[in-house]
Amino acid sequence: MGLGFWQIILVAVAVAAAVRYLPVLPRRWRVLASVAVILIFACWMPFTVGTFKTSQMATVATWAIVAIGLNILTGYNGQISLGHGAFVTIGAYTAAILTDNKEHLGFIDASAWPFWLAVMAAGVVAAAAGFAVGVPALRLSGPYLAVASLGLVIALPPVLAKYDSLTGGRLGIRVPQPQPPELLSDLINRDQWFFFLALVTMALMAILAWLIVRSRWGRAFVAVRDSEVAAMAVGIPVARYKVMAFTVSAFYGGVAGGIFMTTIGLITPESVSIILSINYFTAIVIGGLGSIMGSIIGGFILVFLPDLSTDAAKVFFGAQQGKQLWPTVYGAILIGVIILMPHGVAGFVHRFERFRPAHVAQAAKGLPGAMRRTLQRFSWAWDIRPGGRKGAGKS
Amino acid sequence: MESLGQITTVLTAPTAAFLAAQPPWENPDLFFSQIVAGMATGSIYGLVALGVVLIYRSTDVINFAQGEMALFVTFVGWSLIQADVNYWIVFVLVLALAGAIGALVERTVIRPVEGGPVLNPVIVTLGLFVIFNSLTAFIWAQGQLPKGFPATPLGSQLEVADLGFARITQHQLMVLIIAVAVMLALYLLFNHTKLGLAMRATAQNPVASRLMGINVGQMLMLGWVLSAMVGAVGGILVAPILFLDLVTMLRVILFAFAAAVLGGLDSPPGAMVGGLIIGVVQNVASTYSFGPVFFGPELSLPVALLVLVLILLVRPTGLFGRRAVRRV
Repeated sequence: MGLGFWQIILVAVAVAAAVRYLPVLPRRWRVLASVAVILIFACWMPFTVGTFKTSQMATVATWAIVAIGLNILTGYNGQISLGHGAFVTIGAYTAAILTDNKEHLGFIDASAWPFWLAVMAAGVVAAAAGFAVGVPALRLSGPYLAVASLGLVIALPPVLAKYDSLTGGRLGIRVPQPQPPELLSDLINRDQWFFFLALVTMALMAILAWLIVRSRWGRAFVAVRDSEVAAMAVGIPVARYKVMAFTVSAFYGGVAGGIFMTTIGLITPESVSIILSINYFTAIVIGGLGSIMGSIIGGFILVFLPDLSTDAAKVFFGAQQGKQLWPTVYGAILIGVIILMPHGVAGFVHRFERFRPAHVAQAAKGLPGAMRRTLQRFSWAWDIRPGGRKGAGKS
Repeated sequence: MESLGQITTVLTAPTAAFLAAQPPWENPDLFFSQIVAGMATGSIYGLVALGVVLIYRSTDVINFAQGEMALFVTFVGWSLIQADVNYWIVFVLVLALAGAIGALVERTVIRPVEGGPVLNPVIVTLGLFVIFNSLTAFIWAQGQLPKGFPATPLGSQLEVADLGFARITQHQLMVLIIAVAVMLALYLLFNHTKLGLAMRATAQNPVASRLMGINVGQMLMLGWVLSAMVGAVGGILVAPILFLDLVTMLRVILFAFAAAVLGGLDSPPGAMVGGLIIGVVQNVASTYSFGPVFFGPELSLPVALLVLVLILLVRPTGLFGRRAVRRV
């Protein structure tokens, strides 16, 4: 047994940070190189950390896909959805129906689709559902949209349980899981194969998201988020882009649902619970809104924060009580992180990036004077003269 | 967290009570009884929704922890009642505790995230939700759940009150009376005292209020105190009906959110009206299978949510909510 799971993560992050910030590479290659470092570590990990951690990592990658999609909707476009679990469920059912070796509705024949085709179809069906939800969502905003979208994920399980000829009712659908291809079958086992499936899908979806948010669409999403009126005034079709954001975001949910179903081999109406659906939202806010890296951190939060808080609770309250009190620690961590890092973990990292040793030097240069300057800088807080608050508005 | 997993089961439970009743015109007594009983349940949803609205209109925060805070103090009340304390003393103590918790929460965790990114308070209240739920589970779930909670001494849960046109339990009658009393007290507070005026001013325009010499921070804290107390009243009143369990308030809070949204998130009377509508519709629909006739009783919850969404589509800020007008 070499390095433990968290040591590997730490080393990976440290090496990636070193590549990113130390002047060993030409500037333009640094970001790509740090991503490559993370990917190399990710590919090596399943061969050292054991089966359980490998399947957990597969779940991280899967939920990171949902988080990226939800972040496009909430972080870039400013629409809140607490009901993204519904799109994940729809995608999972689509993939399950296409691969379960049974005939459905008279036109889906018994032969199973290849899983990657089924996952694509899951994304497309979920995107259609997202379009159908996105159009009425145009009427709602803020908390009203949040509650209405929560209704979506509450309402879906009874509907799925009711129409059991297609969905298998409460018991759900069990599907045969794909095996690693012949070529690789002595190199990797099934869990490692699933991990690589999820990782590759996540990487592709992250690249797609990166392309989207830097395109004309992405700029329109952000413009609509910041001010609908201003966006309208410069000729952006606001309604079209809001619906588009919902559709793209649901597509991500559906693809993740397809991967999720493939790795579990089973889908039931309650597989994606209401709590999980709300947690997708929590994860992207803590990870960082409007950031793809933040979404991937969100995937980690979804899978590992409960484990971490259990460990912390055991340290604080002893083994027995810790097992019962872990949600208290979990909640406290959520609150603490959001107070200390108002823009999420990704926002914290970005701030850290702008931090230079010169800042420390300047801050240390004669503290009393620095304190006076600080007071002056924040004097708008009590200065009520007109214009006194110049530059103190929204940052 | 396993208890939270049962949420869907709990939500669909009312549909199990689906009865095939006679049509209303053949048994008007049953029909009116169901309406009044629905109003009683609805007024509890309304009280909890009122707590949500009180906070939302002053700070733009939706308090997801509203129900769990009420659950926690109601469990404290249960312990006190087990220790043979008089019911009304317990009532007052529980309200005081709820108020203290509300003040503490506002001061310690809500204030630091105010003025930051808009979604941060949501995360804080979701964190509070988890904390209160797990503390309640840790302290009281060691013994048997669900626990029985007594009705008010004035109205028993078992005896029937005959109103002439309808027959409901005495407790349901008391629930209606207390809910009306709470509404009246809040109306008097907000519209006929200087303190209430200051609170309304703070909700409308914090900067101007501060310039007028109102202590805005204190008013916001008071909003949280009032909201937690109103929520606690809801918890105490619903506990005899649904029994005290870890998921009791989850069911209530979801309907309360629906009620608050239906009535309009910035309108206190709207919250009450929304609660009443949802309570009555839920009760009548589960007795007479109007909606379920076409879809079957399993789908009464989705149908109810569909109705909520349809109403929202017609009136995007609820029945009584003000249309948000944004300055550019």
